[in-house]
Order: sequence, then structure tokens, then C-alpha cells
Amino acid sequence: MVVETEIYKKLHDLSERIRHLLTNSVTVSIEPENLLCSIECNVDALPVVCKQLVSRIGLSFATMIVEESNEEWLIQYVFYSSRIHILVNVMVRQEIDNPSFPSMSSIVHALDWQEREAEDLFGIVFEGHPVLGDFVLHEEWPEGVNPMRRTFRPEMPYPHKETRPEWQPRRILQEPGAFMMPIGPIFSGISESAHFLLETVGEDVVRSIPRFFYKYRGVEKIAEGKHPMEVVLLAERFAGTSAFAHSLAFCHAVESIAGVEVPERAVQIRILFAEFERFRHHISCIEAICNSTGLAVAASQAAILEEEALRLSCEFAGHRYLFGLNIPGGLSKDLSKEDCTGLLKRTDNILKRLDRLYKMLQYSSSFLDRLEEVGIICTEDAIDYGLVGPVARASGVCNDIRKALPYKGYENVEFSVPCETEGDGYARLRVFFQEAFQSVMIMSQTIERLSDEPIYIPIKDYPEGSAIGWVEAPAGAAFHYVRIDSRGRVIRYRLTTPSFTNWHGFHLAAEGFAFQDFPIILATFGLSIAESDR
Amino acid sequence: MDISLLFEVFFIFSAGSIVMGLFLSDRRSPVFLAFTASISSILLLWLSGESLFTGQTLHGEFYRISSLSVLSYSIDRLSSLFMFITALVYLPVSIYSAGYLKKYPGRYRLTTFSVLYHLLFVSIVLILTAADVVTFLLSWEVMSITCYLLVNYEYDKEENIRSGLLMLTMSEAGFLAVTVGFLILAKGAGSLDFASLRLNSQKLGDTSLWVSFMLFLIGFGVKAGLVPVNAWLPRAYASAPSNFSAILSGATLNLGIYGIIRINAEILQSVTHGTGVVVLVAGSVSALVGILYAVTEDDMKRMLAHSSIENSGIILTGLGAGLVFRETGHYVLAGIAFIASLYHMVNHSLFKTLLFLGAGGIELKTTTRSMNRLGGIFKLMPWTGLFFLVGAISIAALPPFNGFVSEWLSFQSLLQASALRSVPVKVAFALSGAMLALTAGLAVTCFVKAFSMSFLGIARSEDARRAVELPFRMKLPMGFLALLCLISGILPTYIIPVIDTATAPLSHQSVVDELVPPFFQLSDGSTKFSKEFISDFHDLGAQVGKDILPGRGLVVLHRGTEKNPVVYAMSTSYTIVVLILLIGAVYITANILTRKRKVTIRTCWNGGLRQLLPEMTYTATGFSNPVRVIFSAIFRPSIVRDTRTIFSSRFRAAIMRERKEIHIVDRLFIQPVLKAFRTTARLAASMHTGSVNIYAMYVIISLVLVLIVGEFI
Amino acid sequence: MSKWVLKGLETGVKTTVYPEKTETASGVTQGRPERLELLKDKRSVVNICPTGAFKINKNIYEIDLTRCIHCLRCLRSPEFPPAGWTGDYEWAFSVSEKTMKGPFSHCLHIRVVDGGACRACLCEISQTGAPYYNIHRLGFFITPTPRAADVLMVAGPVTDHMRFPLKEAYEAMPEPRAVVAVGTCALSGGIFGRSFASSGGVSEILPVDIAIPGCPPPPLAIIHGLLILTGRRPSLSVIDKPESRRKDK
Ligand code: SF4
Ligand code: SF4
Repeated sequence: MVVETEIYKKLHDLSERIRHLLTNSVTVSIEPENLLCSIECNVDALPVVCKQLVSRIGLSFATMIVEESNEEWLIQYVFYSSRIHILVNVMVRQEIDNPSFPSMSSIVHALDWQEREAEDLFGIVFEGHPVLGDFVLHEEWPEGVNPMRRTFRPEMPYPHKETRPEWQPRRILQEPGAFMMPIGPIFSGISESAHFLLETVGEDVVRSIPRFFYKYRGVEKIAEGKHPMEVVLLAERFAGTSAFAHSLAFCHAVESIAGVEVPERAVQIRILFAEFERFRHHISCIEAICNSTGLAVAASQAAILEEEALRLSCEFAGHRYLFGLNIPGGLSKDLSKEDCTGLLKRTDNILKRLDRLYKMLQYSSSFLDRLEEVGIICTEDAIDYGLVGPVARASGVCNDIRKALPYKGYENVEFSVPCETEGDGYARLRVFFQEAFQSVMIMSQTIERLSDEPIYIPIKDYPEGSAIGWVEAPAGAAFHYVRIDSRGRVIRYRLTTPSFTNWHGFHLAAEGFAFQDFPIILATFGLSIAESDR
Repeated sequence: MDISLLFEVFFIFSAGSIVMGLFLSDRRSPVFLAFTASISSILLLWLSGESLFTGQTLHGEFYRISSLSVLSYSIDRLSSLFMFITALVYLPVSIYSAGYLKKYPGRYRLTTFSVLYHLLFVSIVLILTAADVVTFLLSWEVMSITCYLLVNYEYDKEENIRSGLLMLTMSEAGFLAVTVGFLILAKGAGSLDFASLRLNSQKLGDTSLWVSFMLFLIGFGVKAGLVPVNAWLPRAYASAPSNFSAILSGATLNLGIYGIIRINAEILQSVTHGTGVVVLVAGSVSALVGILYAVTEDDMKRMLAHSSIENSGIILTGLGAGLVFRETGHYVLAGIAFIASLYHMVNHSLFKTLLFLGAGGIELKTTTRSMNRLGGIFKLMPWTGLFFLVGAISIAALPPFNGFVSEWLSFQSLLQASALRSVPVKVAFALSGAMLALTAGLAVTCFVKAFSMSFLGIARSEDARRAVELPFRMKLPMGFLALLCLISGILPTYIIPVIDTATAPLSHQSVVDELVPPFFQLSDGSTKFSKEFISDFHDLGAQVGKDILPGRGLVVLHRGTEKNPVVYAMSTSYTIVVLILLIGAVYITANILTRKRKVTIRTCWNGGLRQLLPEMTYTATGFSNPVRVIFSAIFRPSIVRDTRTIFSSRFRAAIMRERKEIHIVDRLFIQPVLKAFRTTARLAASMHTGSVNIYAMYVIISLVLVLIVGEFI
Repeated sequence: MSKWVLKGLETGVKTTVYPEKTETASGVTQGRPERLELLKDKRSVVNICPTGAFKINKNIYEIDLTRCIHCLRCLRSPEFPPAGWTGDYEWAFSVSEKTMKGPFSHCLHIRVVDGGACRACLCEISQTGAPYYNIHRLGFFITPTPRAADVLMVAGPVTDHMRFPLKEAYEAMPEPRAVVAVGTCALSGGIFGRSFASSGGVSEILPVDIAIPGCPPPPLAIIHGLLILTGRRPSLSVIDKPESRRKDK
């Protein structure tokens, strides 16, 4: 119990400090078992609290959760400290018929999109936010109908606006001859649906305006009222290329609500597959980067490796994208010792070839020319936008949830977090490669100490409660918030995904570079739109 | 018909028109102008045509001031060629003006316009027929001032006043240079007529020749838009009423060329070939600079003006090459280069007039000249669009229109540099060729931009959406010019001999046989053409049309030596036939193949956008921005404003940027001069402190200085 | 650059033998449930399926492939007979009678549209163009513009926001044209079903010609679907094809 007390001490210190800083405007409580420090404050104190937490204590923003109950609105701003590995939860409440909160986006810029989303989906007004509207819900949706409200029935197909809707994007570039270059929503060969408007005077992109949520499937809404066993299917299917990571985060949340301790073996095999997924995901990002620069042979090589990884997944986990593997309480399939070593051996084989590809790419000057000094995000911007994952790590923000908030199993593995400082396309490519290497290392460490326990512990029933589950998904930090009601059904499911966080900062990289660099910059981000749109 | 009679009738008629014009009301003026000016142009066409085709010449005196200075005139084929082009330009422009000037009544006096318009016409004819210095200079000055007044016609606009004054200043500077040049030439000539100047020039020393050559080049270069004395040109062309811009570019620009040919090439015959190289290089630099600024320009008329600089550069490049060839004794090559040069001048007058008329029409109907604000008007102004397209293709030097023929000839003559011996001159030719090639490429970009950004796509402003087709009397002149562009493009073999008659005295040799072999008139046994030569070309089809068609043939071909009988050959006449056949064949095949298919026409695929807004399409500036980026070393854009307004730390409300480019000529030539003036003025000003004692001291010091200097002299 | 050429040569040919022979490499497909006869006492397995893909037909349990989301729960339930799961991949089937034979059979241009797919389907589609599957050798090409496309390949349940762009893309295609729905989502809405944000399948918007079930369908199944369309392979025989519905054009 040494660890427990240590955490207790840290939490206590922190809460004391917060009390000291914010004097009497807040109530602070701590939950050592959840590594959580909760701050309850009223709406007026919110800006001060956020400012102090971010600038004085140095917390990073994790997620914002809006909840509606019968009598009040509750917004939780979740921060975390990567230094002392704890979560800080700021809670503000407002009466149900007064859906108005101050906008925090000028203090924590990462909240910009979160607030815009909540405004569209819940109809909450964030006072002081400069750009609201036309975010999740596009022009066809009538004003004043907010799908995340309790009263909204998700099964009904939506009645669209009567008249043919008009759509007028907001232009901010004022220069003679300026125009907007539309890209999408259906564009290039095989691409996810999203729309980008590039404001330009030709050649250089001056401002890029992404327009997302073409793929909005309302995952958070349709999860409501479902059993966790069903929701886990949604959790892995809303972003198929990071399915395992997201189902894992969801499982973490519900397991912590149920108070279930997952057997050690399940934890280890989860790490095994989570890292394997990261490995595959990064190879596919590398392929996309090679493809965007027109380096056909390298792209083919990466595609070969990706397909081999997919086949390995299918062989050992039964599904090419690791669907159906995670279930609350453990895994649906066990791996024998031989399976594990076989998997590792063949992964190693892929790794060797990946390493060779890396060496070759490093010496292809025409390839590097297109990546170096392109799509730069500086450290300061990355911090301000709260970027996560490989994108942030390429910009000098060495933040990895596996280290910052070590979750089950990662306390005991040794690995390094690759970090680069240039923040350009090449830095991101290097991070992808090095992380892929690290992942295989983690896999081999876990297999070494695989314990002999059951793989699954059934969860009989779910008590009422809420919890946050988090993982470092291949693209970065993901936070899943789940609240379960007395019937054992999910009544609130909140997803903050790395793609959502990072797309917010994408415009920083695209601006100031030429048109022809745009697809390359897009590829070096390695983000999924499905993951962002949900 | 005797041309002297026509000459008199022309002047009497013009004088009558001027006088009558003074008394007409503004409402009647446009039609009157169109009517009288067309008749004048037809008279001039007749007169110059008569002289050009029959070779009639005319010499005479207007007025004898004293035995030394006689105001005299002379019409030879060179001047009649220029008069012919002038008349060709004036005729359609005059008809067009009847419609165009409708926009002015009530705001500006149309009588003034009509009078000046005629006066300018007369002065141009006088310049072209002047046979002595005084007549030449007098009429030149009249022309300069009328031009200034016409450019400044919309006199109450700040911008016009500035560009008018700049034009006047530079014209006068040019005039001074020319005058000084004449003074040098006239030293010891005994008479001021051109013939005696020419004789006298042989006696002058090298230095005087060089100095006068340069003075003339600069003086006439002002009108021709030669770098570095062309700063006024884009501004003035843009300020002038569009019908007058057409004249400026189609007729008065040619006067600069005429001056250079008449004086530099004809009178100053015995200068070394170095002078030719100067013209060559200046020409090709002008061409490149002109087109670079044309590509990046958004204002349609300014763009056309910059392109005039480019074309004048191409003309002068040909001329320079011709001079070099002539001074080195390659008369045939010289002749070809002169022909290329003058052919291009003819073409430029035709298509540039056409384009200016088109631009004027667009401005009239959309009230804007900014291509960024146009777009999609092809559907609204189909005929104007079609004619503009013809002009654009011609000026972009694409076959089968006329620009192609003359640029092709210019290139070919530059490529003949191998005949020269001096290495530096060869290098100069190679560089000029490279610059010209770049120019030609950029010209295509420029006019693709001009046409597509104005006529195609979606209208980018309310103004462009309101456009309507021009009335018939404005379309007709454009159609006429477009037709001329096509004819001079596909029938070069009929035009080259005519130009040759005008250039033959310059190059000392007629080259018509070398360039347009008389395939139609040859039977097997000709002394000039060997049997094999004819039979080879007979097999190739060069004699198709013999006995049916008039003329010498349809192939432009430069004959080299025995060893290498054909240096280059081309026939746009056949090209067009093949083109028509091919297009017809494709059309018929496609029709047959898709006979059974249903054709559905859908809107353009925009990636699934809800609607493609006009501001989502390329603007002219955007289209040409890559050129601006590539040549940023030349443009040196300076960002005069780059501000961002923000809501709060990370939210931008607006990005405002403005870029400014100072024209390279202004930057390198005009600004240093201005700066020097200012500095001297400031130094001089600092002497004036206002104290009487100091002034007294100045007086004493100067007195002493004068005394000392006087002592020594 | 020569090193890349060498690298390519060194790697050799990786391409699958399908459709000439059967691909036997492990891991190319996750397989699928097949119609099976269940003993009375094992009927509870039916209730396991989260999307209700099982249908009782007397004693036989039919599988509605357009509903199976490959959650593998039936397979992993202890009651499930091993014979109920086959490891094949030729499970695409044609919904309408339309085929693209003749000139199209070896030259088919495909525009892929993402109607809200989770990206796994899209990755599988792009794998078909990669060395292991290489649909170019079969004469199938991915094209960026629907103007040049013969086939519209749609993945995902078609979200409400993608309805309009999808229709636009279909409208922009020249005749003859076919629609291929890839993935369970595109066939029935899959796990997302039909809701305020999702149409519940492509057939709600456009007439579907070929259905390729699977979540996601492996590349070989996608190739199979295209081969059916061009009449080069037979379709899987399914008892009750979903109606090719076509609502508001
Ligand atoms: S795999 Fe899952 S969805 Fe498919 S039939 Fe089995 S249980 Fe149903
Ligand atoms: S069918 Fe499955 S894999 Fe395909 S998009 Fe839907 S959820 Fe994703």
C-alpha cells in the first residue's frame, strides 16, 4: 500500500495548493482510488480556476463533459498532470433552464472545438466564444434542435429544413485576388469525407478552414440506453483503425464503475494487442506519407507490411482489425504461449523490414525535400492547442498518456517516448517509425512475463456510477467517459479522441505552405476523420 | 488612281471634319465621328494601298519657310505600309467609337474628343509622310500633345491626371532626345530633309553616330514602350478611353517603331553592328519584362498595355536582328528579320486593337476592368467572347492565327545567328532567343488567364452577372479585326511579298523568293530553282492549288545553300486545312460512335459541395501567382500591410494583407533619377537659410570664382 | 532512385493467386457464419448476436449477412458448432440484375465514397490496390472523379451529412453506372443502424447493385464483388436478398 499512500500524499498536496490558490471560491475533494481530485465551483469562479490550474499548476487539458440531468446542467472540465500522474476534475453546474456558461476557450484554447460541439449538440451558450454554429450540425439542421438533449429521440430520421439551405463560409482573408479553394467532401482517390476550404491568393495557403462532421454518426447519442456489452461494439467500430485502443478505454471506464479488477493476464494481452495495433496503425500512416509524396515503391513496401500485420491480427485474434476482442471484463479470446511467441516472431520480421525501409527513406533526398520544413507546428502552438500523440511529440511536447497517467499494465514496462522538436513533416515521420519500434519492444517485454491467469472475469451487473477511461490510442490520448444508470445501462458516453484534438491544430500546419504540400501535410498527421467525427 | 489627289482629298476631308466637329452637339458627335473618321480611314486605305501595291511614290512640299527649311512630304512603300496599318486600325475603332462614346455625354465634352481624334489621325499621317526634320518634329509634337489630351480625357480623375502628366513628361523627354539627335546629324548637312541627312551621316564620326543612334532609340523608344523608358505606358493605356487605348496601341506605338526604322535603320545606315545588338537586347528585355508584368496584372487594360510592351519588344528584337545581319552583310537574313519584325507589328496592331475593343466592351457592360471580379461572361457576351478569344489566341502565338506566323519567323531569324562570326554577338542572339522563348510561353499563360478568368467559370461579382452582349455596331468592328487576324494567319504567303516591298530598301535586297518560293508559278525548268527541289516539294503537295489560286504558293520556306536547300518551312494555310479536316473527322466519328447514347449535361463536379460559390473559383491573381513566386527576384513584392485582427489570443477575425510591387523599371531607372533630383534639390535648398549676410557671401564667392575661372580661360 | 527499383525487384511478386486459384494464406479473411442446423438445446446462441443476424427458418438458422458485424461473439460462444463458421471470402452477392460486361469487364473505373465508414472498410478498399491484391491487374481502377467512374463504391451507413454529396456523386456519373455497397454498415447501417444521423444503408439513397457484407469485408471479398459485377465470378446465392430500395431520388 506504499503506492496508495504516495498518491494520497500527492493528491493531498495538490488539493492544498489549489485551496490556497483559489481561497474560498471552490470546494476541493480527493478520491485517491481514482487518482482524482475534484473541484466544485460556481460559474463565476470558473475562469479563475481554469487559469490557475493551467498556468500555475501546469495541468494539461483532457476532456470536457457536458451532462444534462432533470434539474441541472453539469459540465466537467477534466485536466491531468503528467508530472504527478493524477486527474483534476472541475465541476460547474447551472440550472436546467439557463444553459449558459462562460467560454473558457480563450484561456484553454483546446476547449474551442469542445465548446462549439457542445453548443451544437446541447444548445448550450458559451458566452464569449467568437465562432459558434455550423460545426457538428450542418446547414440542413433546423436551429434550436439539439440531438444530445435528453428529449431528443435518436431513432427518428431527421426532418430537414424545408427550404434548400444556403451555406456561406466565413472568410477572413482580405487581399486583392483572394479566393477559397474547396477540397472535398469527396476528394482524391480513397479518402475519408471531410471538407477543407483553403483561403489563398494562389500558391500559398493563408488560412485553412476544415469543416468536419460529414461523418457524424451520433455515436454518443445512440450509445445511450444501451447495455455496455453493446456499447463496446460501438466503441470499437466508430474508429475502426484504432478499434482496440478505444474499446480498451471504454472497458477501463466500465470496469472501474463495476469495480472489477481485470486479471493480470488479460491486462498483459491487452497491452500486447494495443501495441500491435499501434504498430500497424503507424505503418499505415507511413504508407500514406510515402503515397502523398509519390514515392510508389516505398508506399508499396509499407502496404505489404501493413497487410502482413493485418493478416497476423486475423490469425491470432480472429479479426483483421482486432474487432470483437475486448469485452468488459477481459478478452474474448485467449492466446497460448506458442501463439504469443509466434506473433512476436513474425512481428519482429515485419519490424526488421520496416527498419530497412526507414533507413532507405532517410537517404531519399527527393522524399525528404517534400517533408522537411513542411507543415511546421511549433512547440508553443502545440501546447496551446493541447495537441496529443505523435503530432505533439514531433513538436517537442513529450506527452504520452502511457507515461503521464499510466494505466493498467504500463506501470511495469520499460520504454521510451520518442520525441522530436522540429515539428515538421519529417519529424512526424520519424516519430511514427520510432514509436512502431518501441511498440514491438513493449510487446516482447509483456510476453516475457505473461502470467497464468484467466483471460476474462465476467461482470454480472453494473452499478450506477460514472468513470473516465483513458488510453494512449495510436493517434494520441483518448478519454472515454461513461455514466451508467440504475438499470445498468449507459446513459452518457462521452468520447474525446486524439483525432478530434489534433484536427483542431491542423490548420496551423497547413497555413503558410503551398497547395501541393497540402496532401502531404494531411498525410503526416496520420489522423482519422471517423475518429474525430464519431 | 493618282495618289497625290487622294492625299489632298484626305487632308481636305479631315480638316473639314475637324471644323464641322467643333460645331456639333454632343449627342450627334459619336455618329458623326464614326462616319467621318471611317471615310478618312477608307481614303487613307485607298491612298496607302495604291502606293503599297503599285509602288507609286509621291514627293512634294507643303510649305517653304526658307531655303533651308522646307516642309516637305514623301510617300514611299515603307510609309504607306504604316499608313495602311494605321487606317486598318482606325476604321474599326471609329465604327466602334459610335457605340462606345455613348457612355460619355453629360460627363465630358464629346466635341473635344471628336476634334482631337481627327487631329491625331492627321498628325500620324503627317509623321508617316514627313520628309524633313521640321515637319517630322512638328507633327510629332502635335501627335504627342493630342495623345496626352486624349489620355487625360476623363480629366477629373486623379489617376488619369497623374498618368497623363507622366506620359507628357516622358514624351517630351523623348522629343528632346530626338531633337538633339537630329542636331547632331544635321551638323554640316546643309539641309534638313531626310535624304541629305542620310548622305551626311556617312561623313560623321563613330562617336556622333553612336550618340545620335542611342538618342533616337531612346526618343522613339518612349513611344514604342521600350525598356527602360516605358513607365508611362501601362498607366496611360489604362487611363485612356478604351477606343483610344486601341489607337494608342495599334497606331501610335507603331510610330515609335517607324521612327526607329526610318531614322535609325534607314538614315543611320553606316553604323557598326553593335547598334543592332543594342536594339536586339533592348527588345528582348522589353519583351520579357512586358510579359512578366502582363501575366501578373489583374486590370485587363493594364494587362494589355504590358503586353504591348512585350510585343513591341518582339518587334524590336526582329529589327535588331535585321540590323545586325545587314551590317554584317547578310542581306537575305536581314530581309527576313525585317519582314518578321514588320509582320509582327501588323499583327500586333490587329490583335491588340481587337483585344482593347473587347476590353472596352467588357468594361462598358460590367463597369469593371478587374479580371478578379469578372468570370462567366462568355454566356452573356458570346460574340465578344469569341472575338476576344481569337485575339487571345493570336497574341499567344498559337496557330492558325497571325501571331504564330510572325513569332515563328522572328524565332527563325534569331536561330540564324550561326551565320554570324562574332562570338559575343552570337551569345547575344542566343540570350535573346531564350528570353523570347520564355516570353512566348508566358504569353500563353497570360492570355489563358485573361480569357478564362474573364469569360469562363462563375461570375465573381454582381457586375459580371449583369453583363449583356454589345450592340451590333460594336461587334462588327471586332469581327472585322478577328477576321483580319485569321486571314493574316493563314495567308502569310500573300502578305510577306507586300511587306517585302517595304523592307527591301532597308535590307538592300528583296527576299521574297527566298521566303515564299513561287511554287504556283514554276514549271520544271526554272533557273532559280533546281529540278529536284521542285519535284520534292511537288510531292509534298506544295503545288496543290496551282493554276487555281493566285499568288506564289502557300508555303513559307527559307532556302539555304545547295547543300542544305531548306532551312525551315511552314505553311499555316495547309495547317488550317488539316486542322479543319481533323476536327471535322473527330466530330463526325464521335457523332457516329455516340449516336445511340443519350447525352445528359450536368453541372460541374465540385467534390459534393452543396454549392460552388463564386469566391471558390480561381481569381486572375491566384492563377498567375505561381509566376509571381517563381520570378519573385524580379517582382520583389513588398508587403505593405499584413495585419491580423483577433478576437482573443488564438481567434482570428480577419487577415488583411496587401502587396505592392514597384515595377522593375521604376525601381531601377526612374526612382534613382528621382532620388538624385531630390537630393540635389535638398542640397540646394539648404543653402537658403534666409539670412541676408549669407546671400551676400554667396554673391562674393561666386564673383571671385568667376573671376578666377575667367582668368584662366 | 535506382535503389528503390532494386528494392522493388528484391521484394518480388506478392500478389494473390485469386481469382485464378483459391487464396490459402492464413489471415486473409476472418470468415463468416453460415447457415446451420442447431440442436434444440443450443438455440440460445441465437440471442448472442447483437444485431440479430440469425433468423429461424424451421430448424435451420439462416444468417442475414447484411447484418453480421463480425463481432465474433457467436463463434466464441461455447454452444456454437464449429461447422457454423466458414473461412471463405467469396461472400459478395448481387442485389440487382445489373452487370457491367463487355467493354467494362476489364476496364472498370471506381469512385470510392466514404459515407461515414469507420475507416476499416476504407483501409480494406485501399489494400485492394496494394501489391498483395493489386486490382489493377484485373482491370479495376480507382478514379478521383465520378465523371470518369463506372462504379460508385460506398462504404459506411451514409450519414445524414453525406447524403447530399453522395447523391451528387451519383448524379455526376455517366451511364451505365453501378453502385457497390461495401461493408455491413453500407448494407444495413451495421452497428450504427438507422438513426437521426445515419440513413441505415446505401439502399436508402441509391439503388445498390452489388452487396459486399462484412465488417469490414476483407480485400478478397471486395474483389469478389467487383468480379461479380463484371460477370467474371458467380455471386453467392443468398435466399432473401434485401430489396433494392430506392427512396426519394
Ligand atoms: S459474428 Fe457477431 S454479428 Fe456476426 S452473426 Fe456472429 S454474433 Fe452476429
Ligand atoms: S462495416 Fe464495419 S468496418 Fe465497415 S465501416 Fe462499418 S463498422 Fe466499419
